[in-house]
Amino acid sequence: MRRHKRWPLRPLASVLVRPHLFSSAAETVGASTSTVAAFPLKHVKRSDFETTLTELRSHVKAADFVAIDLEMTGVTSAPWRDSLEFDRYDVRYLKVKDSAEKFAVVQFGVCPFRWDSHTQTFLSHPHNFFVYPRQELAFDPPAHEFLCQTTSMDFLAKYQFDFNACIHEGISYLSRRQEEEASKRLEMLYDEEGVAETEDVKLVRLADTLFAERMKKTLSEWRSQLLHGGNASSSESQKMSTQSTQTVFHHMRPALRLQGFTSHQLRVIQLVLGKHFGDLVYIHANDDKSSCSQDFVVYTDSESDKDNLLVSILQKEAKDERKRVAERKIQSAVGFRQVIDLLSSEKKLIVGHNCFLDIAHVYSKFVGPLPWTAEEFVASINNHFPYIVDTKILLNVNPMLHQRMKKSSTSLSSAFSSLCPQIESSSRSSDPFLEKRVKIDVEVDNVRYSNWNAGGKHEAGYDAFMTGCIFAQACSHLGFDFKHDSQSENLAQNEKLEKYMNRLYLSWTRGDIIDLGTGNSNAENWRVSKFKYENIVLIWNFPRKLKAREIKECICKAFGSTSVTCVYHIDDTAVFVLFKNSELVSDFLTLKQQLESDDGPVTILHPLSKILQGGNTGAADYEAYKEICSSHISKILFSDQAETVGVKSRTRPEPKGETSSETERRENRVGVTNNASDLIDAFLANRVQVEAARTN
Amino acid sequence: MQRRFLSSVSASAGGTKTLNPRRWSVKQVKKTNFKSTLDDIRTSIDSSDFIALSLQNTGSYAAAWHRVSAIDTPQTSYLKAKYAAERYQIFQFALCPFSLRGSKLTVHPYNFHLFPRDELKLGMPSYSFSCQASRLTAMAREGFDFNTCIYEGISYLSRTQESASKFLSGNPILADPIVDVPSSPSTVADTVFVGRIRSRVKNWRQSCLDSSSKTGGDDDLVSSLRKLVLGSEQYGSRLCLTIDVCSERQAQLIVEMLTEFSDDVVPLLVASKSRGTQAVRAVFMSSKEDKDLFKRELRDLETEENRRVRGFREVVDLISSSQKPLVSQNYLSDFTSIHAKFLGPLPSDVDEFSSSLSSAFPNVVDLSQFMKEISPLSNISNLPAAMSSLNRFFAPVDVEVANQGCPVKLDEGHQMHGQNAVMISQLFAKLCTIKKSDQSSVQSNEDLQALVSDEDVKVWSKNSRRVSSENLVFVWGLGKKMTAAMLKNALQKSHAVFAKDFDVKYLDRSCAVVVFWESGSSETFLGAVNDEEKLGGGGSLREMVAEGLRAAGYESYKRACRLGFWEADLAESLEKTLESSDRDLDLDTKPSEIDWSSELAINFDEL
Repeated sequence: MRRHKRWPLRPLASVLVRPHLFSSAAETVGASTSTVAAFPLKHVKRSDFETTLTELRSHVKAADFVAIDLEMTGVTSAPWRDSLEFDRYDVRYLKVKDSAEKFAVVQFGVCPFRWDSHTQTFLSHPHNFFVYPRQELAFDPPAHEFLCQTTSMDFLAKYQFDFNACIHEGISYLSRRQEEEASKRLEMLYDEEGVAETEDVKLVRLADTLFAERMKKTLSEWRSQLLHGGNASSSESQKMSTQSTQTVFHHMRPALRLQGFTSHQLRVIQLVLGKHFGDLVYIHANDDKSSCSQDFVVYTDSESDKDNLLVSILQKEAKDERKRVAERKIQSAVGFRQVIDLLSSEKKLIVGHNCFLDIAHVYSKFVGPLPWTAEEFVASINNHFPYIVDTKILLNVNPMLHQRMKKSSTSLSSAFSSLCPQIESSSRSSDPFLEKRVKIDVEVDNVRYSNWNAGGKHEAGYDAFMTGCIFAQACSHLGFDFKHDSQSENLAQNEKLEKYMNRLYLSWTRGDIIDLGTGNSNAENWRVSKFKYENIVLIWNFPRKLKAREIKECICKAFGSTSVTCVYHIDDTAVFVLFKNSELVSDFLTLKQQLESDDGPVTILHPLSKILQGGNTGAADYEAYKEICSSHISKILFSDQAETVGVKSRTRPEPKGETSSETERRENRVGVTNNASDLIDAFLANRVQVEAARTN
Repeated sequence: MQRRFLSSVSASAGGTKTLNPRRWSVKQVKKTNFKSTLDDIRTSIDSSDFIALSLQNTGSYAAAWHRVSAIDTPQTSYLKAKYAAERYQIFQFALCPFSLRGSKLTVHPYNFHLFPRDELKLGMPSYSFSCQASRLTAMAREGFDFNTCIYEGISYLSRTQESASKFLSGNPILADPIVDVPSSPSTVADTVFVGRIRSRVKNWRQSCLDSSSKTGGDDDLVSSLRKLVLGSEQYGSRLCLTIDVCSERQAQLIVEMLTEFSDDVVPLLVASKSRGTQAVRAVFMSSKEDKDLFKRELRDLETEENRRVRGFREVVDLISSSQKPLVSQNYLSDFTSIHAKFLGPLPSDVDEFSSSLSSAFPNVVDLSQFMKEISPLSNISNLPAAMSSLNRFFAPVDVEVANQGCPVKLDEGHQMHGQNAVMISQLFAKLCTIKKSDQSSVQSNEDLQALVSDEDVKVWSKNSRRVSSENLVFVWGLGKKMTAAMLKNALQKSHAVFAKDFDVKYLDRSCAVVVFWESGSSETFLGAVNDEEKLGGGGSLREMVAEGLRAAGYESYKRACRLGFWEADLAESLEKTLESSDRDLDLDTKPSEIDWSSELAINFDEL
């Protein structure tokens, strides 16, 4: 891992102008201008977003595929939210959902790749967008919050992530859903107004009555002054006009601009106008530039003029004007989502590396709230991104590529160095296998580079570039001939990629693969499950010092030495116990309940008492685990989480009385009791009682 | 009321000069210069009479109703502050020890950049923290440098975390031979186990004695073979034997057994990364002196390690042990944060919090309370404004920055951080001067006592009326957007109970509170809403309930806070509270009083 971050080499001049920013690059440049430079990367912030977007549009349109990568403020909101051995696919999805909902995206790398048949190279345009969920709309929903995981922040800091650039100058965004809501709210705002405004104002307070009188006087003075011209009548009105009113022209009619009044006072003024002045019209208009609203009293010289003003032209105009301004505001608040919309509308092949979490982030930040189940998510994401390829899948699933990786890790950077050494070290001329290597050039700000130093790892733009390079190289190994059948061919439709298309790792550690392509995918078929989840019991809040082995011993003492397959720690405060069969699960939960309701000597001597010690031990079946994971609360310790979510007293419902399994269980039970030689009499008695209760 | 004779004329003549918000040079402390600054801070604290502090957090409240408002009792205020303190992070801790001699204020301003670094990879000091996006944007606008904060911020551990980390840091701990738990009757297995270990230790010890007596007699091969057979290792320069254990019980048995060899064997506990003791390490001592030396070494190592993990908390401990009165602008939010980050988890009850806090910081001055005594109409949240509101008093304060010398050049952007603490000390000095203008002497300790708040959290507002919390009813569920006036209108027509005077305010977008001025009305109303019969046949209240109107008393609000239903909308939280079946009794069931103000509640018409 490189310690120094390589800043992008924009045109050489900028490097020389700002040497302090480009220390590593500057050294190289200083030595000789012909040597390789740092990796060129386009950093995009709020100020240059709009111009970059126009360029990006044409790049994406022309691209064969677009590689993406995201940097987030964290991954897991609690240690137990990490991918665990016993996570069923639906639980795993809930964990990914939680992560995407809680953490913020701070950098978004987008790198379109296009095959250039003239030079026989891929031309890439790496973009590094700084993204920050700034609230740009005043009428936005309640304060937006995001979580930061301290280790992730430390990790970003280690790679010199520029937090200032992100927070000060990051590009904001609205998801589609948020945009819809904002527009809806906007509509409501404008529909309501103008109709009922004056109705519910009553001059109850003395201050209001006095104010209304004063305004009436001022307005009639202004009006008569307007009509009869010339000298101002009273000093008072002059004083008033300098203070908060000012005569101007509004839509070619004389008008009085009202300033410095509260909204309540303005309403009183409207009331006064309605009551006493037929020819004065109240107008509320938005200023385009300053974006602040202005209020006028406009004089109309006839009833028809008033109608004109009110109905046809002004009121509507002013309203439309305001609406336009607000719509423009919403449009600009959409911000970075325009990039996502672009990728979506162009239906380009999206390439990511181990990117399920990335895609979930994209969905939750730019489309709308993540659905509750993986099935709904799959159905929905396909509408937005029909073609996604995960290079991690490609490298692990394809035997030939897997072999080519020479068993090295398939992490992004090591995959990059084993598949694309020529790019990393830029030693293309000396590479004897040049023919097999796909050549890749980088173009930033219309300057084309074919030599640079690798660098900027964990900079989203560079990571996206690496991902794209891996994909291009992998395609070449798969037998794509870019030279002959490029351009006309759509990569996404190619049968060589079909096996990998839209298949993503739901959990890399467990090897769970999710298929985003098939809308009606059957979740159970995604992967043959190693465990029977109905055989699992969740236990938490047992005495902290107990280890997995001791817990297993305790349970085996009570249910027989072969009853427990294994015990697995979720964290210090909770374990999964995998029983041999699901009957033992309900037996365990019933027995636990029984022991807790009874505080005689039996309870103390019982082998399970070691686990139940302290009286707070909770236990539940696997469905409760799912429920706990679906909660938006994230306590650090699993036991706290379970208590907060409130599944404390939950036990598995009694299994339906199937006679066959009933007898089977009985046999099993006899075996259990025989094996457990050290069961005390009291416990056995208790057990019989349980049994009796069951058969009744 | 001695201040009456102070004329406003003299204030404008003399007081204004020092009131201009000036920029003072504040010492910025980061990871790199923290150690070297510690001694300075100690001296500064020792030489000062008071300590002003001000925190920069990553957020304050997630939804409108999470804010402490006029309708909150001390308990609900505390719960709200607790919720915020547990989620948000302190990025900057500005500290300003100061003393006041006459009109001369001597300040020693420091500003610490903090960042929780999970150095032990154990989720401490914090696994994650929340950021309010808008708060960070506002900080950015003020020129906050997030890179400095995250790259160079000082980490810390709370007192509770430090004691927990002892076992988790992986450093060997001196085993305490005095067993805290009376050992349970030993079983046969125990005896066998102990016997086996005893003979192993005996052999090893013998070999240690042998090798120490015949110095260098053995050739290398033999000694290494012996090591291999006996499992002997080196611990520093000393020989040791590591005995793996499977449970705490075994560790305990071994430590007990090793007391037999206490002359020359010292037991150490080796903690596993996550759970309890992994092994017991017996270290061989060549002499009594060697043993003392070894124990001292261990202790030093521990102190050093503790200091390292403690980080910034060292400063908090300095403040705490100095027992100097602390001056804070926002007592509740500042001290819940400090308690949560540097002392330990926040208790669930405000009284427990107060007592826990006062054991660490016995004297705390809530500046806003103090301000209200002098100038009841000022708003403390804006320091410069609060300062200028005191213009009408003649109370000159000359500020001298003791630890830096001169005011800083304005272009040094980062120096501006931590100004608030200086302003707080200035404001405090001013208030003190006003309060004691007739006896312009140095603060005596007795006078101080009067200023130090008794840690009461009181909600205060202008034009307030004291009402019992029993008279408040929360209403929500009416679909369409209504202004408070419209809602009041609608309610007025709906039921007889609204014939008398009452007040309605929105607490957030979703929920309004109705204040009855007469006791008993709230019960009548709640009864009517929740009872089919009392609701009667017709009437618009029935209509409103049919439309979705819901109502709950103050008890539900308190429970929502206690149970931690911090939904974005208050209506959502109250619904959840009503749904939650667990009806554990609230100990604090007596109605509390709040100050109702018509001004303080959030007016959503103007949002």
